Order: sequence, then structure tokens, then C-alpha cells
Amino acid sequence: MNVNEKANILMVDDQPAKLLSYEAILGELGENLIQARSGRAALEQLLKHDVAVVLLDVSMPEIDGFEMADMMRQHPRFQKTAIIFISAVHLTDMDRIKGYQSGAVDYISVPVVPEVLRAKVRVFAELHRKTRQLEVLNQELERRVDQRTRQLQESERQFRTLANTIPQLAWMADAEGRIFWYNQRWFEFTGLSPEQSQGLDWRQILHEQHADRVLESMQRSWQNGTPWEDTFPIRNGNGEFCWFLSRAVPIRDSEGNVARWFGTSTDISDQIAAEERIKNLNTQLEQRVTELETIMQVLPVGVTVAHDPACEFMTGNQALSELLGVRPDENMSKSLDSTGAAMYELLQGGRVLPADEMPVQRAIATGKPVPTAEWEVRRKDGFTAQILGSASPLFDTDGMVRGAVGAFFDVSSRKKMEDLLRERADLLELASEAILVRDRNGILHYWNAGAEALYGWNRNEVLGKSLHHVLHTQFPTAKETIDSTLMSLGRWDGNLVQHTKDGREITVASRQAYKAGTESILEINRDITAQLHTEEALRRTERLAAMGRMAGIIAHEINNPLEAITNTFFLLRNHPSLDDEAQYYARLGEEELLRACHITKQTLGFYRESQDPVDVSIVDLLDELLELQVLRLQVSGVKIVKKYRSRGMVRGFPVELKQVFLNLVGNAIQAMPNGGTLRVGVAERKSRVGPHSELCVSICDTGLGVRPEHAKRVFEPFFSTKEAKGTGLGLWISKGIVQKYEGTIQFRSFPLNGGNVTCFRVIIPRAQQPEETEPSMIYAGMEDIPPVVRGEIDSR
Amino acid sequence: MIPGRIVILCVDDEENPLHLRKLVLQKSGFQVETATSAKMALDMLGFAHVDLVLSDQLMPGGTGTELAQQIKSQHPEVPVMLLSGVNEIPPDAHYADRFVSKVEGPRALCEHISEVLAKRGIAM
Repeated sequence: MNVNEKANILMVDDQPAKLLSYEAILGELGENLIQARSGRAALEQLLKHDVAVVLLDVSMPEIDGFEMADMMRQHPRFQKTAIIFISAVHLTDMDRIKGYQSGAVDYISVPVVPEVLRAKVRVFAELHRKTRQLEVLNQELERRVDQRTRQLQESERQFRTLANTIPQLAWMADAEGRIFWYNQRWFEFTGLSPEQSQGLDWRQILHEQHADRVLESMQRSWQNGTPWEDTFPIRNGNGEFCWFLSRAVPIRDSEGNVARWFGTSTDISDQIAAEERIKNLNTQLEQRVTELETIMQVLPVGVTVAHDPACEFMTGNQALSELLGVRPDENMSKSLDSTGAAMYELLQGGRVLPADEMPVQRAIATGKPVPTAEWEVRRKDGFTAQILGSASPLFDTDGMVRGAVGAFFDVSSRKKMEDLLRERADLLELASEAILVRDRNGILHYWNAGAEALYGWNRNEVLGKSLHHVLHTQFPTAKETIDSTLMSLGRWDGNLVQHTKDGREITVASRQAYKAGTESILEINRDITAQLHTEEALRRTERLAAMGRMAGIIAHEINNPLEAITNTFFLLRNHPSLDDEAQYYARLGEEELLRACHITKQTLGFYRESQDPVDVSIVDLLDELLELQVLRLQVSGVKIVKKYRSRGMVRGFPVELKQVFLNLVGNAIQAMPNGGTLRVGVAERKSRVGPHSELCVSICDTGLGVRPEHAKRVFEPFFSTKEAKGTGLGLWISKGIVQKYEGTIQFRSFPLNGGNVTCFRVIIPRAQQPEETEPSMIYAGMEDIPPVVRGEIDSR
Repeated sequence: MIPGRIVILCVDDEENPLHLRKLVLQKSGFQVETATSAKMALDMLGFAHVDLVLSDQLMPGGTGTELAQQIKSQHPEVPVMLLSGVNEIPPDAHYADRFVSKVEGPRALCEHISEVLAKRGIAM
């Protein structure tokens, strides 16, 4: 009920006139006037309306005023309803007391003074209105208190949920800093129970290095009322320390006094570790960048980076700036001199490349790497260089081309070196020595033309194979010794015996060099087989010359007495005084003397039937001497096979030539005491050592053969296999004679069909003849004769 | 000097061989004079008739070839034969008409003499 609301005024009287008069009196109050003509009607009205004042006639039929008031008072709703009794009759003090006891608040006696009634009703109406207002206010107040209480309860619940949900440790302390509450996270982290946490001394959970400082700063904040913040490690349930950022702020009451402290501790271990990691990464990154920059600058390769897709700005390292003749700090893209001319240009195949065809620009334009290629740099200052280079585009995080890098390497010197090496390789090919490169296992890696010529092996046949396996090398010392010498001294020189592709045995002077760390051994092998033969022949010749001089001395001392003795025997044998017996003795002596003379004449003396050489047919000569041997051949059962392909014309001295072939034929016949075949052949052929032709006379027998151990000795003087029958000088003399004609005697002896075949072959050059003034002594002038005697044994 | 007989002057520094050679040649029908040195031989050529000089090659005081050279200049009509026991033909051997080994034997020696004389038109 508000102030303006009309109050209900219930008028109860059994007389309608009175009710009308009351209405007239109270009408100007402006309140709501309700009439009731009996107590019963009045009660009905009371239940219907909130009545402020009841005007109650005391004397009414059925229910009088007092009874009515008692009934109202029994109902709690009406206990405080104002009742004004109006009575014309009973207005004694008793009546009044009775009335007050019945709950009346006032009495008005008849005749009613309108102003009094009006005033009294007004007061009670107003009182009722005020009472009602108070009641409404009170209800509003109670509702508000209730609402507020519920809000507070919700807020408290939210705070607890929040405090337990946040990852931080949270706590509250009273104004003096005594912590009375921790959140759930605190218990989880510290492993402490709520009981243990109550009244906890923080020293127990602080690191001893930090405890004093932390506690002191906290204490200071409690006292000053200023917010607190500190970073320190806190021990967890496992006894490990984790770094926390802790803060506390004061909560103040309405008067500004600190009511409590609210604190949090935030775990920053991960943060600190992350910061540490980032710091390390940064340091590493800086180091990498520094390294890269250093590498760029010291790299002998020119490197450029285009920093934008338009190639407006390009940087380069030291090597590139030197290569291009540009200052290191200059924009490589816009390197122009003071006149605006480009500092350099790039050529390919002799053509100057336009800007969009340059490698870095092309990498940007195509978005693909430019493969390694060769260009020529031509600088404004006239310098040119051959360069090898490539370029690659750079992409941003969106995959767009943001620039490119290019790398360029000056290969001018390498190209020069390649040319030089090619020239050297050509030189190696020209060398007559066998030059080869092998590794330590003997595997061949290089084989020059000289090696091909010397060994007969094509390089394709031997490269990748083992040298010594190919050449069947025989080493002068153990191979291991040679290897260790090579490894320790870096070189080895010596002679090796090796075999050519066609099976010839050759001796090479080998110089081998090993360069440590290369795994390669260079070998230069020179064929000294012929040289060794020459040397051996020279030694033999010298020996023979010495023997010749010896023979000269001996001849003089023997021939002089021999002549005297011969003459003596001549005289003696023809002396008439000798009887038959004495003559017989003298003849025996003379015969033996003749033998001695014959030998000295052949070996120690000179023999020449003519001063001048004549044309001699070897065929005629052979036929003549074979004719003389017919009897011996028949006796021995030797068959003759002649094969003449030339008349065998030689300019020389028939007797000494006859002596050569008589020796050979004689030996052949003697080698076949039980028969066989004597093959005699004459042929002319082209020389193998010069442009001239040569005469080749062969005499072969199928006799006893020459034993391998004798093969090299058959041409030595006094060597004989015929025991007492031979002088051991025949072949030696024959060889001397043939050498005088600058010819050679060779022989081979090998088993064939259960027997042996022995072939002697005399080779005489046709174009060259012995000088006419040449002394006819068989050993004279031999120092000048090339070594041609060669004995061969084929052990097959 | 008996007309018709060939006179050979034998020259040798050694007595025994010289004497034996003389006997052999005499047995073969030659008249033989002897000299024991080249000088002596030249002296004898100055006053005696000699058809052929047969000289040893190696002698002290002058070799056979030197003697032959001198004879060629002083008595070119006299042929010279040289006998040698050594096995070297000296470079000036061509001054002699023939150069013969000592060990050829008496018969061969006489044949050589006949041939040389025949070449000179002297018949035995």
C-alpha cells in the first residue's frame, strides 16, 4: 500500500440513516467507505478488504459491537485493526474500559461531532497506511538480504572452483601474513596435506639459497602493505625444486585497512627452460651465421645472393668480387663503373648473355635450379676467366621465389692444367720407354704406347689387371723387399725379367717411384735385353781378342820350331842312309808333325789362298763339300735333303767359307752315327734388322741333339762333345769367319718324333762384304763386329 | 855360280832354321846363299846374282817387309817372299811378292817359289 492508495473504512451500523450520516461526514476524506448493516456483514467485508479503520456501532441486533470486536481480535489478521466505537447509549467509563479491552482504540459518543470523527478516522487511516508501507518496506528489505546472501554464497563457490582450477599455487593470509588457506594445486605440488600446510614454515619448502631473502621480502610486504613479488625455487613432493614466480596483493576493507593477502605462485620452470633453449638456439644460430659468413668470405668459390625476385640487390663474397673485378661491398646486380658501363659481362659459347639469361636471373625466372655449366667472364679491364657455376632459387615460407643464390668457380687454371696434362700425356705416349702406373697390389691404371710396343699388350687388355701376372715378372730380390723399399724410400731401381705377349723373355731396367698417400706407383721400364746381349758379346769379344793376342805369341814360338822340325824331317826322310825301319819312324814323325802344323795353321796362323775376295756360290760350295762326304754319308746311312731357293752368292774367300760349312756338315754327320736326315737349305730373304737382304743357310740333322747345358757353350773355343775326336775349335772358328762377314750363326735343338732336331743357321748380309784389306786371321778385327752369335735352346 | 841354277838368298837371324831351310831348298835343286840380317842381304844383293829373296819376317835390325821394300826400290827385278811364324799379316806385306806361313811345309814352300818365279818369267 503506497501513500496515495485509499484506505478502506468499514462503517458498521444497523441504522441506514446513521450510515448515511457517517458517509457524509467522512466523504471529504477521500478514502474508500464500505458500509455494513450487521456484524455478520461487517465480518464478510473484513475478509474481503484490507480494512484500515472500523466504525463500529456498539448496540446492534444479533451481534453487538463488543462481540464483534472480540471476534475480530480472535483472528490474527485483524488483531491490530483500528476500531472506533460509536455509542449513543452506554457511554459510561465501564463501557469505555470494556471497549478498550475489546481492542477499541477510540470511543465516540453521540451526538457525533463530524470534525472529531473525521479527524479520528483520518488519523487511523493514515496510521494504517503507514503501517502497511512499513510492512512492504520490511518485506523488500528481507528479500534483498536474502538475495545478497545467495550472491555471496555463489561468489564464494566460484572463487574456490577458480582457485582450485588455476595452474598456479594460490593461498590466502590474514592481515599479519599468516596463511590460512591453500588451493588444491598447492597440496598436489608440495605433497603436503592440509593439516601439514596449516601454519607451515615456508623455510621447509624453500631452497636454502633463497629462503632468507624470500622470507625477508615477504615480511616487509606484510608490514608495509605493499604488493609482493619474487622468483625462487619451491620444493615439490619429490624433493625437487621448481622455479616459481610468486606474488601477493593485499585485500583491503572499506576503511582501507588490509583485511587479508591473496597470493599466487606460478611455475616458470618450463618458461625458464624454454628461455634457456631459445637463448641457446639464438647463440647457435649466431654462430652458424658467423661461420657461414666466414665460409662465404674465405671460400675460393664466388657466391652471390639475390635478395629480391627482381634481382635489384645482389651481394657477393670476396672470391666473387675478385673474379668479377667488383668492390666487395658493391651491389653485384648494378655493378657499373663511373661511366655507367657494366664492370663485367658473361659469355656462353662466345655470345654475351643478356641480363635475363644470366644464371641467377634464370633461376629466379624459372623457379628451378640452373645446372652446372661453363661460362666465360669478360671484365671491363680486359681480364677473362673460364668459370664453372650453377644457381638455385630461394623460396619464402609461402613457396614464392624470393631470390636466388649462385656459385661460380674460376676454372681457368684447371683448364690450363688440363691442357698441360693432356700435353704431358701425349709426351708419355711418345716416350719409347714403357710407362705405367699401378697400385700397391700391382693393378694397372695406366699403360702408355711405349708399354704397348714393348710388351705387345694393348692397354685395353691389361688395365685393371695385375702387372706381374700379365708380365710374369721375375724379381732380382724378394718382391716384399722391393715393396718395402718403395714404401720407405719412395723409389726403387733395378732390372726385372719379364715376358712379352708373344712369350719372349726380356730384361728391363725398371725405375719405380711411389708417392706417399697416392697409392700409386709409377714404373718406367726400358728394354735392355739387346744392350745386355751387346755387353755380353762385348765381354766375349774382349775375351776372344785377348786369346787372339795370346795365340799370336804362342804361334810365333811354336811355328818357328815347327818349321825347323818339319824341314828336319823332310831332310831326314829323304836321306839315303836311312834304312826302311828308320824311314818308317821318320814318316810317322813327319805325319804327326803335319797334324800339328795343320792345327796351328788353322787356329794360330793365317790362311788365305788369295789376296782378293771373289764371288762365291754357297750352293756350289755346299755341293762340292757334300760330294766329298758321300762315302761317310753312305756309311752312316744318312739321307741328304737339299732345298736351294737361291744360288747363295757371296763375295768372299772360298776356302774359309768352305771351312765354315765343312765344320757344320761334319758335325751334323758325326751327330748321326746311326743314320738320319741331313737337310741343307739356302734361301735369300729380307733382313729383319735392316733394309738389305740376307743369305740364310741352314744345316739340320736328326742326330743326338745338343744338351741344354751345352747350348750356350757350343761356340766357345776348346768346347767339344766329341771327346778325343774333336779339337773343340770348329764352331769357334766358324763363328769367327761368319762374323767377319758381319753374319751370325744361330742354332736350335729340340726333341721331335722321339729323336732330336738340331739346326744351325748361318745368316750373311748380302749388301755388305768384308773389306778387301781385312786381315784374314779369324780373330782379327773382331772388336768392331756386332754381337750376333746367339745360341737358343728349345726345351720342348 | 852354276849357270841355269836358280839362286835363292835365304835371310833369317836364327842359324838353325836358316841352315835347315837352306838344306831343304838345296835338296829341291836351288842354289842357296844365306844372310843372317836384312843389312847383310842387301849387301849381298849388291854384288851377287840372286833370283829370289826368301826372308823371315821378324828379325832384329829390320823386318822382312822393310827388307822387301828396300829391295823393291834398289833391285826391283828381284822377287821377295816372306815367311812368317806369327799370325798377323803386317800392313806393309804388299811389298813382298808372297807372304807365306812357316808351317805350310817344304813342298808348299817350293810350290810358292815356283809360282812366284813363274810370274816373274823365270823358269826353273
